Amino acid sequence: MKANRSARVPGKRGLWKSLGGLLLPPARKAPGVLGVFFYVDSATSAVRALKQAGYRVAVMSPVPHHAIEVELKQGPSFVRWLCFFGGVTGVTAGFSLCIYTAYSWPLVVGGKELASIPPYVPVGYEGMILLGALFNLVGMLVLAGLPAVSWNAPYDPRFSEDRIGIWVPARDAEADKVEQMLRGSGAEEVQVVA
Amino acid sequence: MSDRLEISQKQVNDDILRMLRTPGKVWWTIFIADLIVLFIGIAAWRYQIVTGMGVAGYTRTVAWASYITNFVFWVGIAHCGTLISAILYLFRSYFRRAVYRASEAMTVFAVMTAGLFPILHLGRPWFAYWMVPYPNQRQLWLNFRSPLVWDVFAISTYFTVSAVFFVVGLIPDVAAARDRATGRIRKLLYDVLSFGWRGSNNQWKHFYGAYIFFAALATPLVLSVHSVVSWDFAMSQIPGWHSTIFAPYFVAGAIFSGVALVINLLIPIRTIYKLEHIITVGHIEKLSKLVLLTCMIVTYSYLCEFFMAWYGDSKFERDLFWWRATGPLAWSFWVMFTCNSIIPWLLWSKKVRNHISWVFVICIFVNIGMWFERFVIITSSLTRSFEPGTWERFYFGLTPVELAILAGSFAWFLMWFLLFVKFLPAVSVAELKEVVPMPMRGKEA
Repeated sequence: MKANRSARVPGKRGLWKSLGGLLLPPARKAPGVLGVFFYVDSATSAVRALKQAGYRVAVMSPVPHHAIEVELKQGPSFVRWLCFFGGVTGVTAGFSLCIYTAYSWPLVVGGKELASIPPYVPVGYEGMILLGALFNLVGMLVLAGLPAVSWNAPYDPRFSEDRIGIWVPARDAEADKVEQMLRGSGAEEVQVVA
Repeated sequence: MSDRLEISQKQVNDDILRMLRTPGKVWWTIFIADLIVLFIGIAAWRYQIVTGMGVAGYTRTVAWASYITNFVFWVGIAHCGTLISAILYLFRSYFRRAVYRASEAMTVFAVMTAGLFPILHLGRPWFAYWMVPYPNQRQLWLNFRSPLVWDVFAISTYFTVSAVFFVVGLIPDVAAARDRATGRIRKLLYDVLSFGWRGSNNQWKHFYGAYIFFAALATPLVLSVHSVVSWDFAMSQIPGWHSTIFAPYFVAGAIFSGVALVINLLIPIRTIYKLEHIITVGHIEKLSKLVLLTCMIVTYSYLCEFFMAWYGDSKFERDLFWWRATGPLAWSFWVMFTCNSIIPWLLWSKKVRNHISWVFVICIFVNIGMWFERFVIITSSLTRSFEPGTWERFYFGLTPVELAILAGSFAWFLMWFLLFVKFLPAVSVAELKEVVPMPMRGKEA
């Protein structure tokens, strides 16, 4: 790789970075190998080979690729359960609020029941959607590790353009082996972080 | 898939992210002119607060007039964005990818505009917080049986969910903008807005895991919000309002006007930023078909209302509908009918649908018509209710204050939209890449 733009240069920390360093712990620099791919099928075969060899693999890409996801054997995201939980909480909260307020100040109209469920449906319904969406948001951010301030793996701006990055944590002899596997699969560039 | 784009992934980044340059003279001219109009609107509001609601043409019976018309109009505009981004996402409609970001932004800004009107409409706007559900000093809560309270819940939920949907969708694209940004401030801003996104497989997994649920939650929300707005009217007993078809009728009308405004915004964007190869004539044609479909539903609803007034045998209802089409406010009724039910019929012709200027002009007419639809529903019913003694007090038209505030609302909306196209990617970079050919070594070998 020609230039690793996000790599830290020791001794050249700016004022803001120094201030940020006081608030946040510095990123743990992990040793590993980064391969940059242009072709999707090359990246897919690299992931397949690395997974078969038992390595942990992280893939960075501008768009998710189904074939790579299959090789990574990713299950569905847990966020759906958080969304469901949020929705149930919301609908319960919406109806509870309406019913509670009806009983907290009893206002009898024509001898009817204090709490009338049909008019409370819009409040319960909107509550379900609101909390479902908010739990979904928070769940997504937490599970995806966002907001992310520091990263172990190196990053290249081309990963948001048209290149696929494959990061494998490895050191010493393992790193050499991984490097060879990445090159063998058709990596354009390979960078070893010791 | 006919909606495939024959450009490279890099080209997508190049074409879309070049929109985010430092604003030029044209942008500044439009922006400053827009701020002047907005300022006139704010000055008119100040005058209204100081003088009283009479300057807005409000009378004893017509206490809901153009501000509520504007409110319903802007909520309606807001509907198309979520339709395109959520419903068409669930239907796996590929053409949405090129157009959904702009329409989603339009949704958020339109709700922000709509939300102003219930406050502008208040004589004492500083008490707007009374609509928030909390007990007063005597421990008395809001009346949760009132559709106005439902509306507060519906609109605030709609704003929150559509804003979240918009911001979440922006994350990967803002990261792409960050990776290209040159200025320090821009880079920092995009870094913060992208939440430090790196496009890792874990991030994409949870991103799309959540995205589909945002879409699934937003879909019933779109349908419910305008239904709830329609119940502001339909739950009352005023002739012309008390109708069970109001919910679907309002939802169809909302989508009708929303898609029309999306077209009106997309056509200048694609022309100014030279995105004709990304937002193609085919996309505009598909949106035009949506306009035509909703035009049919809206026209059917108009006719159905008249049929029900005749068939229902309610003297008040029948009289009101006859009066709407022939009385002193008939001009507004016929503007509505011509713009919404006659002019869009031109879109049956494929030639017209493929002619950008024609579509643009038709969509402007649709929006004029849809504003008048709400005007007709709200003011004519209040002008001619059950009590003949109040019939004299016609609501003739907009006062200068109302006009200034209406113009100000467009300026407020446009201000946000201008800032959006200049600082955020107006077309989705990540989603467009799903319809461009992926580089495969196997193919080249």
